[in-house]
Amino acid sequence: MRDVALHASLFAAWLADTDIGLFELRTPNGTLRLGRQGDDIVELPVEPSDAQGAAGAALVTVKAPTVGIFLNGHPLGNAPLVRIGERVAAGQTVGLMQIGPLLLPVAAAEAGKIAAVCVGHGLSAGYGTPLVELQPL
Amino acid sequence: MIEVLSSAALATVQDLGRTGSLRWGVGTSGAMDNLALAAGNLLLGNALGAAAIEIPVFPFKVRFGEDCAFALTGADCAARLDGQPLLPWWVHQARAGQVLALGLPQGGAQRGTRAMLCVAGGVDVPEVLGSRSTQLRGAFGGHEGRSLRRGDVLRAAGAGAACKTGFGLVPPALAMPLERDGLPAVRVLPAAEYAGFDPASRSAFWAGEWKITSQSDRYGYRLEGEALRPIAPMELRSHGIVPGVIQVPHSGQPIIQMRDAQPSGGYPKFGTVIEADMWRLGQAPIGSRMRFIETGWDEAVAALDEVRAWLDKVARMVELHRAAPGARR
Amino acid sequence: MTTRQRPSTSLLGTTALLFEPPGEMNLGTQQRIWALAHEAGAWPEIREAVPGMNNLMLTFLRPPRRLEALEALEARLADAWDAAVARPREGRVVELPVVYGGAGGPHLSDVMAHTGLSIERIVELHSAPLYPVYALGSHPGYCYLGGMDARIATPRRKVPMLSIPGGAVSIGGAQTGVSASPGPSGWNTIGSTSMCFFDPAQDPPATLQPGDMIRFRVEGIVR
Repeated sequence: MRDVALHASLFAAWLADTDIGLFELRTPNGTLRLGRQGDDIVELPVEPSDAQGAAGAALVTVKAPTVGIFLNGHPLGNAPLVRIGERVAAGQTVGLMQIGPLLLPVAAAEAGKIAAVCVGHGLSAGYGTPLVELQPL
Repeated sequence: MIEVLSSAALATVQDLGRTGSLRWGVGTSGAMDNLALAAGNLLLGNALGAAAIEIPVFPFKVRFGEDCAFALTGADCAARLDGQPLLPWWVHQARAGQVLALGLPQGGAQRGTRAMLCVAGGVDVPEVLGSRSTQLRGAFGGHEGRSLRRGDVLRAAGAGAACKTGFGLVPPALAMPLERDGLPAVRVLPAAEYAGFDPASRSAFWAGEWKITSQSDRYGYRLEGEALRPIAPMELRSHGIVPGVIQVPHSGQPIIQMRDAQPSGGYPKFGTVIEADMWRLGQAPIGSRMRFIETGWDEAVAALDEVRAWLDKVARMVELHRAAPGARR
Repeated sequence: MTTRQRPSTSLLGTTALLFEPPGEMNLGTQQRIWALAHEAGAWPEIREAVPGMNNLMLTFLRPPRRLEALEALEARLADAWDAAVARPREGRVVELPVVYGGAGGPHLSDVMAHTGLSIERIVELHSAPLYPVYALGSHPGYCYLGGMDARIATPRRKVPMLSIPGGAVSIGGAQTGVSASPGPSGWNTIGSTSMCFFDPAQDPPATLQPGDMIRFRVEGIVR
C-alpha cells in the first residue's frame, strides 16, 4: 500500500492530462483508485473486499467486447443510455461500441446499479477495457 | 406474417426501383431513401434490393404473426416492440404475436421523415416487370399496386429463420453530412434550360433557402422560394426525365420530381439533384428548409462513389459481425 | 421555339443524358430517333434508351467516370445520329371512339378560346389525322402522338389538374394524347375514350408501340 500511495500523486498528475474517468491500480500490496471530481483528481475509497483481489470484488466490470469507440448513447439521441445510480436488468444495453459504421451493444452481464462509467463518450477503448462498473443487486 | 394495424398510413412496399421499363411509360418508383433500404437489408443479411415497407406517415403499427427478424432504418421514430423502446438503425428479433409501433420522427437537426421497415428475406410480393416496388399510377407491383391498409397481411420471405440481431449502424446522415449555412443541402447539376433563366433567378436558386411545402409527396416536392423567371417563355417537347429533375412551371416555384414522378415531362428543367443525394431529399421533412449546391460532373460521380463505398464498408463490417461466433439474441 | 443547328446533349444529373436534334417536329426525325435508340441502347454504359418527341433519353447503367469520358460518349452519340437512317415501321392502326366535350372534355372551351375555332372545327381537325405513336411515356401505356394539326395547338395549363381519368383525350402545346390511367395532367382535356393501354402481365406490357397509329373516331359531341 505504501508503495502504491507514494506513486498516487504521480498517477494523479498523469491522469489529469487525460480524459480517463476512473483509474484503478490493483497490486498484491493494495489497490489505488483515482477518479475525477470536476477538474480535480481525487482518491476514491477502496472497498474492503477490493483489497482481497479480483476474486470476490464487490463491483462487476462491463468490459469492451471489441476495440472501438465507446458511446454512452446512440449518436442520433441526446440522452445517455444509462446514468450513475440507475438500476439495469441483466442483458440491458448500457453503452455502445462503434467500429467504423457498425454499432455493437455493451450489455450488463447481470442486473445491478450503475456505479461508474469508466471511458468518456467518443473515446477509444481496446478489447477488454473496463467501460462500466455495476454494483450487483 | 406481418399484419398492418394502422389505417391511412400511405405506407408502400418498395425496393430499389423498377428499371428498364421507362420506354413503356413506367417510372422507377422505389424507396425515397434508397440508402436506408439498402442498409436495413444489409443488417438482415438480405439481398441489397430486397423489398421493404416505406412508412411516411405516423403513428404506424404492425403485428408479427410469426418469429421474424427486422431492421428499422430511416427516420428515428421512437419505435417500441410490445412497449419496449428500440434503438434506431438497428436489427431486432420479433417473436410471434409482438406488436411493433412507430411514433413520430424524433430529433432536431437529424429528424427524418420516412422510416424503412426491412424484414428477414425481404417482403414477399410478386415481382412485376423486374421489381417489387409499388407502381401507384399503374396500380401494379408491391402489395396489390396500392398503399397499405389496416388488415393487410404481408409475408417476410425469411420469417422464422435464425438471424443475428441486436446490433446496428451509425446513420449515413451522420457519417456523410452535407450542409450549407446550417441547412441540409443537396448537390445539383444544371440541366438543359438552366441558361434560359435570368441571371438573378439563377443566383437566387443557389443562394436562397427553399421550403418543402405540404404539397410534397412521392410524386414530387413543391418548393417555395424566390420565383425563377425565364428570360423568354419556354415551350418544350415531351422528353424523358428521371427522379431529381427540378422542373419550373409558369408559377416560377420549382418542383423536384421524386420517385413516383412521371418518366417524361415538358416543363423547363433548371437542374437535377444528383442521384447520390436523393436519399437526403427522401428524408427532408415537409416544412423544412434546404439549400442547393451547384456541382460538376466529376464531383457528382465522386459523390456516387462515396455512397457506394459507405455501403460496401457497411456490408463488410456487418458480414464480419454476423459471421463471428456468438449467441443469436 | 428557337431552331438549333446542331443537336443538343444535356445532363439529367448523373442518371441520364438527353439528346435533342434540331429541326421541326416530324415523323422522319422520330424514325431516326428509333434507330438511334436501337443502337445506343446497346452501348455498355447505357441501361435504357427512352425515345421522346423527337428526342432521346439514355439512362446510365454506369455513368462515365470522368468528364472527358462523358464528352467522348456525347461525341459518339452525335456521330451515331448523323449515321442514323429513318426506318419506317409496319405498325397497326387502332381506332378509338371518342366522345368530345361534356363532362369528359372539360377544357374544350379553353381550346376554343385559345384557337378561336368552333367545337365542330376543333373536333374535325382533331379526328381527321392518322396519328403515329412516336413514343410511350408519362405513365404506363401512355402514347405520345405526332401529327396533330397546329391550328388546334393550345399551351399546357397554368395550373395542372390534380386528376383526369384514364381514357381522357387531351391537347398539350402542339401535341395530343390519351391518358391510360387516372392521374394529374397539365394538358387540356377535350374528350374521352375507353381502351386498355397497359397490362404488366403481357410482353410487351404496352398495347401500343412506337410505329403503331391511332385514329380518333367521333362517337359524339357534347356541347
